[in-house]
Amino acid sequence: MAVRVYSARRVVTMDATTPEATHVAVRDGRILGAGGPELLGFYPGAVEDARFAGKVIVPGFVEGHAHASEGMVWRRPYLGFFDRTMPDGSTAPGARTRADALERLRTLEAELPPGEPLLVWGFDPIYDDGPRLHRRDLDAISTSRPIVVSHASGHIINVNTLVLERSGFSADSNLDGLLRDADGLTGELMGPPAMQRATRVAGGGGLMQRLDEPGLRAFARQAARAGITTATDLQRKLDDETLDLMRRVTAEPGFPMRLVAALGAREYTLAEGVARIGQLLGTGNEKLHLGIVKLTVDGSIQGFTGRLRWPGYHNGAPNGMWYIAPAELEGIVAAYLRVGAQIHIHTNGDEASAVAIDALEHVLARCPRPEHRTTLQHCQMADAAQFRRMAALGMAANLFVNHIYYWGEQHAALTAGPVRAPRMNAAATARREGVPVAIHSDAPVTPLGPLFAMWCVVNRLTSKGRVFAPAERLDVAQALHAVTLGPAWTLRLDHAIGSIAPGKFADFAVLEDDPFDVAPERLREIDVHATVVGGVVCLP
Amino acid sequence: MIRLLVVGGFLGAGKTTLINRLLARAERRFAVLVNDFGSVAVDAALLAAADASSMTLANGCVCCSIGDDFGLALERVAAGGPELVVVEASGVSDPWRIAQLALVEPGYELGPLVVLADAADLPRLLADPAIGDVVRGQLAYADIVVLTKTDLAGERLVQTREVVRTIRPQAHVIEARHGEVGLAELDFAVPHERARFLATAAHPFRTWTWRDPRPFDRGALRALLGALPASVLRIKGFCGLDEEAGDFLLQYAAERWSFTRSGAGAERALVVIGTQALDPAYLAADFAAALR
Ligand SMILES: [Zn+2]
Repeated sequence: MAVRVYSARRVVTMDATTPEATHVAVRDGRILGAGGPELLGFYPGAVEDARFAGKVIVPGFVEGHAHASEGMVWRRPYLGFFDRTMPDGSTAPGARTRADALERLRTLEAELPPGEPLLVWGFDPIYDDGPRLHRRDLDAISTSRPIVVSHASGHIINVNTLVLERSGFSADSNLDGLLRDADGLTGELMGPPAMQRATRVAGGGGLMQRLDEPGLRAFARQAARAGITTATDLQRKLDDETLDLMRRVTAEPGFPMRLVAALGAREYTLAEGVARIGQLLGTGNEKLHLGIVKLTVDGSIQGFTGRLRWPGYHNGAPNGMWYIAPAELEGIVAAYLRVGAQIHIHTNGDEASAVAIDALEHVLARCPRPEHRTTLQHCQMADAAQFRRMAALGMAANLFVNHIYYWGEQHAALTAGPVRAPRMNAAATARREGVPVAIHSDAPVTPLGPLFAMWCVVNRLTSKGRVFAPAERLDVAQALHAVTLGPAWTLRLDHAIGSIAPGKFADFAVLEDDPFDVAPERLREIDVHATVVGGVVCLP
Repeated sequence: MIRLLVVGGFLGAGKTTLINRLLARAERRFAVLVNDFGSVAVDAALLAAADASSMTLANGCVCCSIGDDFGLALERVAAGGPELVVVEASGVSDPWRIAQLALVEPGYELGPLVVLADAADLPRLLADPAIGDVVRGQLAYADIVVLTKTDLAGERLVQTREVVRTIRPQAHVIEARHGEVGLAELDFAVPHERARFLATAAHPFRTWTWRDPRPFDRGALRALLGALPASVLRIKGFCGLDEEAGDFLLQYAAERWSFTRSGAGAERALVVIGTQALDPAYLAADFAAALR
C-alpha cells in the first residue's frame, strides 16, 4: 500500500526521540515515522500530501472520561449558560440571563405538539444572582403541559405546578427534597427519589437509557470536532445488543473514532460483572477497546454527595454518599483485578479517594499485579500525600480540571470553601509526586474539548476570572501530555496511541494554530481543522 | 392500600438473610423489591417463574429488582395486587429517604421503617470516621431496630443496645439470633381494642384513634404536624380541611407528612401509632385546637 507523507507547519509528536517534525509518513493506517522532507526519500513511491501544509499536527486527543450520552442529550433542548456545539455542528446558544432562559422555554413550548412534555437540560443558575427559578415562572409558560428543567449539575430539577400535582407533591407534602417557601412548594426538587418521580409522571422517564446507533455516531462526530481520536464511554451496561452496535459501527473503515467502552459495575452484581468483563477481554477491534471496569465510590461535590475528609463541606452540609461501602470496595477491586480487568474508580471527594487507595493497597499486598494502572477518575481533592501513595501503588489520576472554570466559584463559596477550592485538581502536585496525569471533560457534564481542558489546567481561571492556585498550573507541553499520552496510559493504550511515533496508529488532531505559540489564555480558541484516525481524514 | 415495609441497615447487617427467609416462609402474598437481585437465593422447589429482573414463587410472592427508579418499581409491583411490599434499601443508602415516598405514592401506606444492625459490629461501625455518619443516619428514623448476630455479640450487646437507644430512643428493638424474625414482628404490633393501653413486650407500640367529623384548619394542622412529640411514629387516616369538599388522606411519619385528596367517603378518623410514651390526652387537646 502507498506511503503518504503529510507535511505541516509543525508536527508536535510527544515522542521524546523526535519531538519536532514537519512531516509524518503513514502506511496502512499506521505511522512509519515523523521527521523532515527527507521522509519522502525513505519510501519509494511515497506521495506527499500537503493539505495540512499551514496547520499544526499533534497526536489525536484522547478523552479518558466521557460518556456516549453526549451524542444523545441533544435530543432534548439545551438551556445552559454557555454556548455549546451540537452533533450537527450548529451552536446551541447559551441562555445568559433568566429572561433569555424563559424566552427560550416559551419558544420551545410554542413549537411542541400538544400533549408532549417540555424537557430541557443543562440549566445552570449559578451565574444568575436573581431569585431561584420558581414554578410560577414555568407556569407562565404552560400550565397544561408538563415542564421539567434539569440542572447542569444533574442533581436538581425545576418543574411546573402541573408536574407537582401529577407527582402528588403539594404544599401539603412535607418531604425531603422538595424546596418550599411561604407559598408552598417552589417546584425545585433535589435527590433521586423526588426527581425520578417527577420526571416519570411528566413523561420523561426511560429516555436515553440505551445507547443507539444515531447516538453513537453523534458522539463520534462531537469527538472529531474537538480533535479527539479516542474517547471513552466510561460507564455502560455492555449487554449483547449494545456491544453488537459498538462492534458493527466501529468496524466501519470511516468511523472517525476509537471507542473505549468501560463496563459500569453498578449495572451488574459483582459476580455478573466479573463474568461479563471476563468474556469481553480481548474481544474488541482496532477501534473498540474493552476490558475496563468503572466503579463509582461517591457522588459529586457540587451536589454535596461527594465524600469529603475533615472539615467536610464548607457550608456545613452533611457529608455525602457512598455508592460502594468502603469495606466492600476491596473485595470488588480484588475480583475485577483477578479476572484481568483494568479498574477506573470514580472518587470525587478526598475521603473517597482515600478509601480507594486503601482498598487497592490491601489488594495488591495480597495479590500483586504489575501494570494494573488503576485510575482514579475526577480525584478532585487529592493532596500531595494521597498522590504520593497513588504513585507508590502505580495508580493514575484523571483530574476534572474543567471544574475550576465551571464550578470553581461555587466550590469556593459552598463546598470545599475558599481555602481548599483553589487546591482542587492539583495537577502540578500530582505530576511532581510521580502520578501519571490525564484531564477530562466528563461530557456531557462539560463540553468535549481537550483544548478547553488544556486551557483550564494551564490558566486555572474560574468563570469570574479568578486564578486558582497558580502553582498548580501545568505548562502547555504538560497539558498536551495530559490529553494525549497521559490518558492513553490510563487506558492501557499508550503503546498504540497518544504520540506520533513509529508503529502507532496514524491518529492526529490537525489544528489551525500552534498551542505552543498562542498566548496561554487563548488555548481554548484554537480551532480544530480535522482529525485523522487510522490514516483516514475526518473533516468536522 | 398496600402496606410498604422498608428494610434498611448497613452492609453485613443481614438484610438478605432476612429477605430470603421471609420469602421462603410467606404466609401472606407479598412482593419484595431488592437492589441486588443476584443475592436472593430462592429454593428451586419454591420457584414458579423467573426472568432477568423478577422471580415469582409458588407461594404467590414475587421478588423484583428495584432498578433505576424506585417509584416505577413500586408502581409495577402494585399492579400484581400484593398485600404487602417489602423494600430492601441498599446497604449504603438512607432508607428513610425512600420510605418517605410512600407517603405520596398512590395506593400505598407506610409501615414501620425497619433497620437491621449487626449487634456484634455496630459500635465499631459507628466509630468508623468514614461510615459512622451513614450508619447513624440509617438508624435515625427507625421504628423497629432488629439486632442480628446477637449470639456473636457477647458483652457488646449491652453497648449496642445503648447506642441504638441514644440514636433513636423511640425505636422498638428486637433481637434475631440467626435472622429468625417473623413478618408479624416487623409491624406496629399493637394490642387489641380492649387492652389498648396495656403495653406489653409483645405490643411495644400504642395506638389511639381521633374521631371527629369536623374539618381541620389547614394551617393549624400543618403547624400541629410540625410540632408533634417524638412519641408519635405514624398517623394515617381521613379528615376534612377548611371548607373544601370531600376528604383528605393524611399520612405522617417522623416529622414528614403529606395530605392528599381522597376519593373514598371513609369515616373521618386519624389512627395514631406511637411509642409507649404516647399521651392521648395531650394529643386530643392539640387535635381539638386545630379544628376549624
Ligand atoms: Zn462520568
